[in-house]
Amino acid sequence: MKFISNVKLLMKITQEYVNAQFTIVFSAIFSVLFLLNSFNFADGVWRPYVLGLFIIYVATTLYVWVATWQIKKDLAKHREIQKRTRLLGYPLMLTVVVGNVFAAGFGFMLATKNKTAEYTFAIYAFITQIFIIGISALNLFKPYVVDTFLFAMGAFLALAVFYAVMAILVARYVTASNAPKWMIPLGVVLLLPTLTGNLFSLLLGLTLIKKARNTDPSAVEKWQKIWNKILRNMMAVFGMFFIIFMFSLSVVSSWTFDYDFAVQNNYSALLQTPSLDYPLGTDNFGRDLFSRIVFGAQISLIVGFFSTIIPAVIGGALGAFSGYYGKNTDNIIMRLLDILYAIPGILLAIAIIAAFGANTVNLIIALSVGAIPTYARTMRANVMQIANFEFVESAKALGVSDAAIIFKHIVPNALAPMIVKATLTIGGAVISTSSLSFLGLGIEPHIPEWGNILKVGSTYLETNAYVAIFPGLCIMLLVLSFNFFGDGLRDALDPKTN
Amino acid sequence: MINFQNIKKFDGNYYFKRVFSEITRKHSYSIALFLLGFPVHVVTYFLYLLKKDKNLYVPLFAQMKQQFISEGKVHAWAAEYRLQEQTKAAFFNKSLNERQLDLVVNQLTEQKLHREIEKILTKDGLAKPSYKSYFSELLGNPLFLVLSFIPGVFMYIFLILCSNAFSRFIVERLVQSAFVIVGVATLVFTILYLSPFDPARNLLGIEATPEQVANFNKIYGLDQPYLVQLWHSLSGLFTFDLGNSFEGKENITQSIMNKFPVTLEIALLSLLMAVAIAIPVGIISAVRPNSFADYAFMFIALIGLSIPSFWQGLIFILTFSLKLQWFPATYNPHNWLSIVMPVVVLGTSITASIARMTRSSMLEVIHEDYIITAKAKGLSERKVITKHAIRNAMIPIVTVIGLLFGGMLGGASVTEKVFNISGIGSYIVDKQFIPDIPALLGGVVYIAITISIVNMVIDVLYAFFDPRIRSKMKKS
Repeated sequence: MKFISNVKLLMKITQEYVNAQFTIVFSAIFSVLFLLNSFNFADGVWRPYVLGLFIIYVATTLYVWVATWQIKKDLAKHREIQKRTRLLGYPLMLTVVVGNVFAAGFGFMLATKNKTAEYTFAIYAFITQIFIIGISALNLFKPYVVDTFLFAMGAFLALAVFYAVMAILVARYVTASNAPKWMIPLGVVLLLPTLTGNLFSLLLGLTLIKKARNTDPSAVEKWQKIWNKILRNMMAVFGMFFIIFMFSLSVVSSWTFDYDFAVQNNYSALLQTPSLDYPLGTDNFGRDLFSRIVFGAQISLIVGFFSTIIPAVIGGALGAFSGYYGKNTDNIIMRLLDILYAIPGILLAIAIIAAFGANTVNLIIALSVGAIPTYARTMRANVMQIANFEFVESAKALGVSDAAIIFKHIVPNALAPMIVKATLTIGGAVISTSSLSFLGLGIEPHIPEWGNILKVGSTYLETNAYVAIFPGLCIMLLVLSFNFFGDGLRDALDPKTN
Repeated sequence: MINFQNIKKFDGNYYFKRVFSEITRKHSYSIALFLLGFPVHVVTYFLYLLKKDKNLYVPLFAQMKQQFISEGKVHAWAAEYRLQEQTKAAFFNKSLNERQLDLVVNQLTEQKLHREIEKILTKDGLAKPSYKSYFSELLGNPLFLVLSFIPGVFMYIFLILCSNAFSRFIVERLVQSAFVIVGVATLVFTILYLSPFDPARNLLGIEATPEQVANFNKIYGLDQPYLVQLWHSLSGLFTFDLGNSFEGKENITQSIMNKFPVTLEIALLSLLMAVAIAIPVGIISAVRPNSFADYAFMFIALIGLSIPSFWQGLIFILTFSLKLQWFPATYNPHNWLSIVMPVVVLGTSITASIARMTRSSMLEVIHEDYIITAKAKGLSERKVITKHAIRNAMIPIVTVIGLLFGGMLGGASVTEKVFNISGIGSYIVDKQFIPDIPALLGGVVYIAITISIVNMVIDVLYAFFDPRIRSKMKKS
């Protein structure tokens, strides 16, 4: 290992130190937010729960600050973090209970010296599971729960324990380049919880199997390198965490949440303010806002996913043909796509919906059509570059057909920018979905969707502002997460930084 | 350069000939020239057909061919190609069928024969007669130029425009924009035409008699075939006469003319705000990368990019109108305070995009060699950034601003609905429920035209300002 004499430089490359600074900033921001919300200015009374959260967050901030100071001292004196300092990470893991994912993540990171991508996957799988248990547990305050509730909660708890055990095992036995053979069955078992939407578990399982089999070391190294780059970027990790959390929540919500609370009118509880029964209050028909928002995530993710994947496939194929064949093919395809490109996406969507009616399928089609040209342009530029490489020439000389050259040799190498673009545009699709629903042009009004909830909220802005605030916050957080994750992916996959 | 142009003017007869042979290398230009000078071409093609037989090329070609065959060269080539094909098939483990083999060998031999003969003939200064070369010869004849100038005036104007790389670029860009605009109009009309909804039923109600519906469709021409309706719509769009809207019977062009300036004003103010905030922020972030200011700015920018504009509008109304009562909640053209919130809301996402773009563009430029040179010369950092870095970094940013402006005009509909502004965006949204086909078509297409024109102007301006693009054009 290289000897680094400059302490400042050492601090910069020590992941724990950078991580700690992020944790301090975010914990402090949340503390301030809780403090501002702990006092009800209208009635002049304190809100004890929020005040309690504020105290815990401030304490966490101070604790992390002390830990940072300790790390700094270690680095100056010993050039590495001492075992005693690492012990400070354990109590921080408990902050996951109050939802401080920043501090908890930092605690897990500080606790071990052996940080592999698998370890990060394992702890975030664990944190995701704990969050889902916490969110689902709020249903206990409802008059009744769905039949599958107890069973589902039990399964979630078992999964959480399993992930925690996995994290310990991974920290002990998995190194940067290989994993013991007995990890293969565990990896296969880890693929099963994918059914609950916990994609961290899927990633952990796949990586473990790949590493333990060790049939293709160069592929393992490449995979590891990319993930290490992504996981170094704290914001990308949090973005990924929030996306997977939302996805998992929308998958499991039908087992722990009652859809009736979200759609059935309840005239005895109109426009209630937030309480334990209704954590985010109720709307003008007495429907529980919390359940509505949880089920709204499903729609947003489905529309966001399909209106990204459809134009990516169509636009990608058109762009690949256009870039590979060039000349007239290129001219015809790109000039026709220029027409689509000239109409702003949302206006085209409005025109299509005006013609064919407002429903989910039409919305997906409308958003997809407008996004085709950008994907085609990205793909075309990549394919044009890659088509000049020697391996394409040699494939041609061996008499491989054009279709095989395009889809077997060129497209897989041109995929990275498309993945980045897709991640960054899912956020845009989520915003467009809710914007169009807000205008009455998107999802049917009876379906709980974030834009629909906001539309109701906009009419009660003066008296019951929370109806409009919470769904908007959710949209923003989800889109922000996609953007952070996309930025991280771009930095990791960009050939310029390699 | 100036000298060169003078020569061109003096030597008029060769000027057209040169330009003609230069631009007809591209197929699309040949077609354009043929169409523009159609009356001239009809006559000259007739003359060409008459003269073709008198050309020496054809008999000579036949004579040479005979010679090659009698010398036995053709036979030798065929044997050579046969061997080549057989070896190739053996290498790839493919079976060869005798007839196919003969076909391929014959083809290859024939090609070789043509190549060889042509090689000899061009050495002697004989070219294969083609209409293109014949016409090119004619263009060098002053008498022909005088005679054909009146009937072929469009073709000559086109030739003059194409003689210069800049003007050719502008012509190309104009044609492209015109094509896109007509395409947009056709596309939007087709989408609306395919609609399963019946505006007549929606407007007249379910009690309407079939006669009433038929009458409605007749008044608005909805009973006519697709192409007729398309022609009416297109001509209406480009003559600014779209007729009356289905609902309310107001003149569509008039209402769009009234509403468009409102949207444009808000969009331009937003753009101004975005540029004023985003570019300094982006530059500061790029000059001090990975500093606290950089992280904070880029975090805020990402939030700005992620915030749904209608929600931001609602939150602004809640805080600044209902609670603090600083600004009015709805737009009123006579109160300038009421325009502040819509401008900020519409400009937020574009501000964020420009700031991020500026940062990455600046970072790329800062690491270029010429910046190191400038620093090595001993220039202060301030001077290096302002004189050398910003000017080059701005080039991609302005293109992006042009593209974002389009997105902003499209996104205006949401903001306009939130703040109750009667702009073109909310007009389109109001009209879509019927659906009011001509009004929707007008709204969407006029916005698309505005965007196309803005982007075209930016592209053309670049051709003049960016020396790199200029030199690239000259080379091609």
